[in-house]
Amino acid sequence: MEKFKKHRIRIIALILCVLLTILCVTPMLFSFFTSVRSELEIMTGGFSFLPDKLTFENYKELFGSDYSASYPIMKWFGNSLFVALVQTVLVVLISSTSAYAYARLDFPGKNVLFWFLMATMTFPAVINIIPLYKICQTLGIIDTVWALILPNIAGVFNIFLIRQFMAGIPKELDEAAMIDGANKFQIYYRLILPLCLPVLIVVAMFAFTGAWNDYLWPSIVMNSVDKLTITPGMQRIKSSFNTMHGHAIAGGFISVIPTFIVYLFAQKHFMKGMQMQAGVKG
Amino acid sequence: MRKKRKWSITPYLFIAPQLILFIIFFLIPAVVGIFAAFSKWNIYTDAAPIFNGLENFRQILTDSATSYYTMFRNGMSNTVHFVLISVPLCILVPLFMAVILSFKPWGHKFFQALFYLPNIFSISTVVLVWYYVYNRNEGLINNFLTGLLGKVVDINWLSEQPFAWTAIVIITVWWCLGGNLVIYLAAINGIPKDVMEAADIDGAGPFKRFLKITLPGIMPQISYTLILTTIGQFNLYGQSLMLTAGGPNNSTYTMMMYIRELAFGSSSVAGIAASMALMVGAVMIVVSLILNKLTAQKD
Repeated sequence: MEKFKKHRIRIIALILCVLLTILCVTPMLFSFFTSVRSELEIMTGGFSFLPDKLTFENYKELFGSDYSASYPIMKWFGNSLFVALVQTVLVVLISSTSAYAYARLDFPGKNVLFWFLMATMTFPAVINIIPLYKICQTLGIIDTVWALILPNIAGVFNIFLIRQFMAGIPKELDEAAMIDGANKFQIYYRLILPLCLPVLIVVAMFAFTGAWNDYLWPSIVMNSVDKLTITPGMQRIKSSFNTMHGHAIAGGFISVIPTFIVYLFAQKHFMKGMQMQAGVKG
Repeated sequence: MRKKRKWSITPYLFIAPQLILFIIFFLIPAVVGIFAAFSKWNIYTDAAPIFNGLENFRQILTDSATSYYTMFRNGMSNTVHFVLISVPLCILVPLFMAVILSFKPWGHKFFQALFYLPNIFSISTVVLVWYYVYNRNEGLINNFLTGLLGKVVDINWLSEQPFAWTAIVIITVWWCLGGNLVIYLAAINGIPKDVMEAADIDGAGPFKRFLKITLPGIMPQISYTLILTTIGQFNLYGQSLMLTAGGPNNSTYTMMMYIRELAFGSSSVAGIAASMALMVGAVMIVVSLILNKLTAQKD
């Protein structure tokens, strides 16, 4: 009886999960099936969930020369990849060195500085956007990848996450390494950094997807079409929606490939990252 | 034999890169942003912002002859309405899903991964995926409803209210639920098993257990996600811009859209935009303080 009761609730939960899955996934499937219908079929065929004839021509044509003149999707893809990768590396480097100092070194002003940084997290970013543009303009980096990368790598939250993690590593390890003659930089690089790998992976993944998905800022600072990243680029593709449904949706799916791959391989870390941010142990 | 450490430059070398970037790309913009709210400023000229006191605020808040007055009222009202509707849904839907998953149905790991998936999409992808779903004639929803109800359903999802807002709220919940879901699920799983079992033996049903044990147990996470989600939703931009373009009749125009247009439009009135940004920012801070107070644990 007890066992049946336990299973009963699991069966109800399973049914609800299946229903929720249908709700969540159907729009995605419908759009995917639309993207593998020919434009002619979409225009004349009316509503249909499944394609009459499966074709990948929309995907192929997106990369063809006709389309790429006004929507250089390959170029955008490359730009995004460059920005996201450079940003990820810099974020990991800059926030981990900083976190190392706040977690494991002593220096005058440390606590004041650290808590000041933490307090700025509550400052609404909307106030910064306009002056930030002016600063990038003054530095002469408008319409370059640096306007996308530089303002996004000094994030305070990452320092907080990494510092928390570093604080859990025994201090004796540093002392032992000091006795062996290692300097502070060697301790950071050889000892602490490898031990922090779990939190660094989390930081890196969120940096990557954050950079890849950034929309408002790139659409402000990038003027040239061929220098755009893919997320604001897709907004341009959307403008072709009236005539090219299939192409537009295909573009949407293509633009998600890198983050999807990262997610497939590192799904556990995403979950762990969300939990770390919320301060719960999973 | 403890010696007082002598001053060393090393720690400062470690924090310098972040600090320098932080000052240039965060601190200065923050200070300038506050100052700019009290100025007249065109960002496309080299001229510095000209201090003009409370003039921007006077125009935006009281001068109904200016378009800024109408924009701010409309943008603020739309944004606040959106926040009021979408935030509870972005908390309750994932909470409901987390409770279901916490019973560990077969394949719960798979379901969790699936529900989280939209979270990694960019707003452009989200809109491109959903745009055709909302299509009036060939879209999924109208055709599904037509089939279900047996009569023609012809809803103009993206250019008639209240459907346009419904469409925006649906994709927002779909997009955002994964993050909160994972947080709640971890928190629920972190509640000690024996507490649950004791309540079960005492005859508390699933609903009572949820109210008496689960909910208080995950209150810190609810508080955290509530504040973060609220702040996030105040920044509503991409959904409205790409899905409805602010329409119909500017009814889905958001604060962020106005700020962006005023500051970066060709006749850049960045001072006005900065005043609006400062007011939105102030509202965000006040709201998160109130939410924090309301949901704080009483020990």
